Amino acid sequence: MDSKEIEQLLEKYWTCETSLEEEKLLREYFNGNEVPQSLSDAASLFRYFESERARTSEEDIERAVTKEIRKRQRGKIISMVSVYRMARIAAGLLVVVVATYFVRQEVRKSYPPEIADTISDPKLALEETKKALMMISRGFGKAKQGAAKVNMLNEAEDKISNKDKEKKKDKIII
Amino acid sequence: MDFDGFERQVLPVKNKLYRFAFRLLGSSDEAKDIVQEVLIRVWNGREQLATIENVEAWCMRITKNLSLDRLRAKQRKPTDTLEQTSTIVEGSLTPYESAEISESMQRINLLIASLPEKQRQVMHLRDIEGYSYNEICEILELDMNQVKVNLFRARNAVREKFVKINAYGL
Repeated sequence: MDSKEIEQLLEKYWTCETSLEEEKLLREYFNGNEVPQSLSDAASLFRYFESERARTSEEDIERAVTKEIRKRQRGKIISMVSVYRMARIAAGLLVVVVATYFVRQEVRKSYPPEIADTISDPKLALEETKKALMMISRGFGKAKQGAAKVNMLNEAEDKISNKDKEKKKDKIII
Repeated sequence: MDFDGFERQVLPVKNKLYRFAFRLLGSSDEAKDIVQEVLIRVWNGREQLATIENVEAWCMRITKNLSLDRLRAKQRKPTDTLEQTSTIVEGSLTPYESAEISESMQRINLLIASLPEKQRQVMHLRDIEGYSYNEICEILELDMNQVKVNLFRARNAVREKFVKINAYGL
């Protein structure tokens, strides 16, 4: 490619009409050839681009990032360990709860049966139930007698009020 | 995505990410920091990667966003004056780096560093990394017209400076 073609291409480059391929041609030309004095500015620009493209960080970023990622993955394992720790605490609490339950059961057994209100013999239980029912029934009987007295009073009041009404009617008829 | 996939698909982009972060921040250490952060973020969000069409462009976009965040944070610091922050890019080369770059290279470096942010970004992505216009749109979240206008302005600014240097030796 001669310098005239390059000049034409360069004109297109300044006005942003070159394609990526044409820009690559320019880069290759300026980085591999003896360049005429008239094109020295453009040459230094394209050489600058080329040298910048070769710039890399001296430090190994990749290694640092890989290390960090591995560390984070280990972090996940550590978090699993903390899950086990939680499980151990939960198991301890469970043991305490179960122990409390059994102790309570033992304490209940040591109470006298009257308080606990448990009768194991069915006949005895039936007798006890009958007694209780009889007591309730006696209570009902007494209540019924009391209610009968109240009824007598009500009936007497009704009779009196009826007699008053009949007298009023007789007066109206007369 | 497992670690092998990450190693194959994402890690090879690291130098492009580094160069882009370096272009934006002008500091090698900060650029390295940003690249590490980007790669870790991509790893943490690796479940999303299957839905992303262009992983490289996506990584570049994260790099741009994190770098700009860092720049803004630096500018918010009360101890930094406006003058100091605007010369970060120019004055951050180590003596070793400076010695490595010849005088003309340094001149061009300063020239590009003095461009407005968007123009600098577009020029870097096109002329150094060789991305297509569509990819640049994706990375910078700009439309095609804005990308072309910024590239046009950047190249013409460089050209004008060359003309001035040749005419007046400035």
